[in-house]
Amino acid sequence: MDIFGEIRESLTEILDIDAEQVTLETYVIRELDAESIDLLELSVALNSRFKVEINDDEIYLKSLRTCLNGAGANGDAGNRILRQFPFINGERAGEILSDLEGGPVLKVKDLMSYVSWRAGKNGC
Amino acid sequence: MKLEFKGRRVLIAGGSCEMSLRLAGLLVGEGLYPILTWRSEQGRGKIVDRLKEFEGSFNTAYLDLSSAESVERLFSQMEEGPDYLVDFAQGDFESLVGSADTELAGRYFTENVSTRADLIKRAARAMLKKRHGRMVFISSAAAGRSNPGQGFYAAAKLASEALYRSVGVEMAGRGITSVTLRPGYVDSGRGARYIEAHQGAVAGTPIGRPIDPGEVARAVLFFLSDCAAAFNAVEICMDGGLTAVK
Repeated sequence: MDIFGEIRESLTEILDIDAEQVTLETYVIRELDAESIDLLELSVALNSRFKVEINDDEIYLKSLRTCLNGAGANGDAGNRILRQFPFINGERAGEILSDLEGGPVLKVKDLMSYVSWRAGKNGC
Repeated sequence: MKLEFKGRRVLIAGGSCEMSLRLAGLLVGEGLYPILTWRSEQGRGKIVDRLKEFEGSFNTAYLDLSSAESVERLFSQMEEGPDYLVDFAQGDFESLVGSADTELAGRYFTENVSTRADLIKRAARAMLKKRHGRMVFISSAAAGRSNPGQGFYAAAKLASEALYRSVGVEMAGRGITSVTLRPGYVDSGRGARYIEAHQGAVAGTPIGRPIDPGEVARAVLFFLSDCAAAFNAVEICMDGGLTAVK
């Protein structure tokens, strides 16, 4: 199974939802209503499936708002995201910045990016 | 009453103390598999010597709360995570609050609160994989009523109690519960030394005698068992009535 398939399976098991509800563009908190304890369980599941260390603060973008506090214009905010979350690319950082008013921005594709990034760091 | 246990692997932090050793014997008798931690070769030797009749039915592992890396290593070396965590570990630091060395006090809290939090976190995550787990923290009656010089000890115990209580609050829905036991004057280790130095202290408790380490071990065994799971996120005194009287 590929990374997306593994993540989708974990999400459907933990949140008791149908696989069709999970796409790359699905919001994990905004749409799937994942709570803190669900995210903790997801971390454990991803660690188990991919054998990579999961840092909850990083993968769930928990420090996003803090990292953007006081950011000015001229691309400063985007650069802060790229520095704080190295698994996020420039395009996704732009999306996130234009989406902040709608609530938690975390999407399934961010989980995928994180797992791929960690696996790469582990030399997998 | 026959006690039943959903899991088998019991990680005992602070495994070389008398209460841990008594508990380990009881656990083996129930068919469970204790893993007792040690932080010095002397401690490891004591465990192996005292439990030699149970060889093959228990294991030992290095854990020193003064080394954050040792917590990480403990869990990375385990083939399978624990079903239970019993936490007897506690460093010594006796000082009047007004005269404590600031750096030593900070280090004491790092070891006995922050590093313990990492131990709890890793155990909780391992238990979450199995969707069941039970934690028993051995605090002290001193957490509620400390004698002069016990302020830092009591503060670290209270902070740790809060961490364990929170696990019980946050994770009971996933099958992981916790309970804290607060023994009073226990006749072993630093408790025995205190009793010897303060003969009148024990006589002043309603029960009129020190608590035997075997009594604590049997209580912990009960609190680990399935039938005690409803004792969750709570602190229970086992002090012979010490804290109930003036």
